[in-house]
Amino acid sequence: MNNDNIIGANAATNPAAPDYTANSAANDPLDFDDDPLSATGVSRKSLVIFFLIDTSGSMKGKKMGELNTVMEELIPEIRKVGEADTEVKVAVLTFSTDVRWMYSTPIPIEEFEWARLRASGVTSLGAALKELNVRMSRNGFLNSPSLSFAPVIFLMTDGYPSDDYKAGLKELQANSWYKFGLKAALGIGNEANDNILAEFTGSPDTVVHAYSGGQLAQMIKIIAVTSSQIGSKSMTLSDDTSHELGEEDVFAAKQKLLGQQIQELVGKTETDDVPFDTGW
Amino acid sequence: MFNGFSHSVMGASHEKTGLVCQDSSAYKVCDDYAVCVVADGHGSKKHFRSNIGSKFAVEATISTIDRFYADKESFEESFPKNHKLIIKNIQKQIISDWNRLVEEHIKNNPVTEEEKSKFTEEEFEAIQPESYYGTTLIVGVAGKKFTFGVQIGDGTLVALFDDGKAVMPMEYNEAAPANVTASMCNSNAAGLFSAFYRDKQKLIAMFTSTDGLYTSFGSEFDFLDYHTIITNQLGDIDSFKNIIVNNLTKRAHFGTEDDISLSCIYDKELLEEKSELIASEVSANKQRAADRKAERLKKHVETE
Repeated sequence: MNNDNIIGANAATNPAAPDYTANSAANDPLDFDDDPLSATGVSRKSLVIFFLIDTSGSMKGKKMGELNTVMEELIPEIRKVGEADTEVKVAVLTFSTDVRWMYSTPIPIEEFEWARLRASGVTSLGAALKELNVRMSRNGFLNSPSLSFAPVIFLMTDGYPSDDYKAGLKELQANSWYKFGLKAALGIGNEANDNILAEFTGSPDTVVHAYSGGQLAQMIKIIAVTSSQIGSKSMTLSDDTSHELGEEDVFAAKQKLLGQQIQELVGKTETDDVPFDTGW
Repeated sequence: MFNGFSHSVMGASHEKTGLVCQDSSAYKVCDDYAVCVVADGHGSKKHFRSNIGSKFAVEATISTIDRFYADKESFEESFPKNHKLIIKNIQKQIISDWNRLVEEHIKNNPVTEEEKSKFTEEEFEAIQPESYYGTTLIVGVAGKKFTFGVQIGDGTLVALFDDGKAVMPMEYNEAAPANVTASMCNSNAAGLFSAFYRDKQKLIAMFTSTDGLYTSFGSEFDFLDYHTIITNQLGDIDSFKNIIVNNLTKRAHFGTEDDISLSCIYDKELLEEKSELIASEVSANKQRAADRKAERLKKHVETE
């Protein structure tokens, strides 16, 4: 190469031993007060948690009230979940007669505020699954340049779908984010059908049921916290024999771990409060 | 008159695993043209010499552009008329030069037993020698009458033309497979390039970067704004360069932990002429970012 006019050709600088003396803050060598470029933040690997929440009329009263309270309490707990290098974002899709996103885009957990939901209408689960399929794409909600973990998808419902949920599920099942996402579901009260929920998650191990307000609070916390912990974990892409593992192996390992941990934690829960369906 | 800078920093993940930096970067400025170039060696098992491959990609690019500009008058006259054809020719020449450098290197530095030890005999035999050096490449070239760029594999090119807006002008090659990183080492590499050409707008500044920079941002808006902020500071590049290096280091450390390379060229006179426009873009971008955040935090559900 003719170097006569080349002003710069670079080898790497090692971040472990840089010369920061001119710009260093006292305690953090990577915190620069005088950096106009800090206006555009550094993004970590992100994890989006999708909550699909049934807001049909049958959720009215104690179920919806309890769910709102638990979700308000849950947000600070999820903030602690992501490993230090994970940016957790939350997207909430409500479904009754219509489907609606709580926010128009996934919101970083630090900025997320729960909006207390109201229940009315029928249970359009199929429409919700179709809507999730549309938004769960690089052209939709997962458009951040930063790298993403496969999402966590958590479905909560108390009744039998009033529309063709199978059509929605079929569309969703072709979505790669869904295929590799961690899926869990919570049936609320006696009317929720665990078989349908297992169709959604792909395994009965990742379906749990809550029959009372106390159980609802416990189950939501168990599923949301466990799935986001596992979802934000970087699992090695090689096994003991140093063969490289594919994404499908990592997904299968994570989904299996989620099922095991949920079942283990659910087995330890105790509650003696009044079932939802008593007097309903 | 053109000026520029370039820098590569090592990603924290490579630091942890003891891998050397796989990126290379360079810039060249002359009276008649300027080149900014970065390359990102693949760094995975079978690309065990990709740090050298990325260096060769940068060298092959600069020497190719130099050759095309050797007869400056003729090149500047014919290029606007036949830019598609000539860009294809440039891509082929870069690939050819890179392959020649790779061949020479293998000849002078045969694969060692240690390098082979990571593979079974069958595995090793299945790898094409040029794959050892696999790398991406992103190039921006500014001439007096036109601007163009070529790219193979991941990475980004951002340009600020005389309207002061930061844009990504590369026209992506739909033939390149979306789920596989196109590489200089592919047997059909010359057909996997993307490119762009502009001759209606004057170039203020152009940046090429490896994908470690892009993936350290939460949004494409932020990524583009970042380049506008840098452009706004280029008038005092000697003081600002240290800040850029520190910022890249922070991104390579706290972002996706990948190596990051950034190379920039700019037209000093036009930059000075447009300094107020760029400064106003920086302020406008700040306001737009605040507006986007406010919009994002609006709730859309029926509440109690």
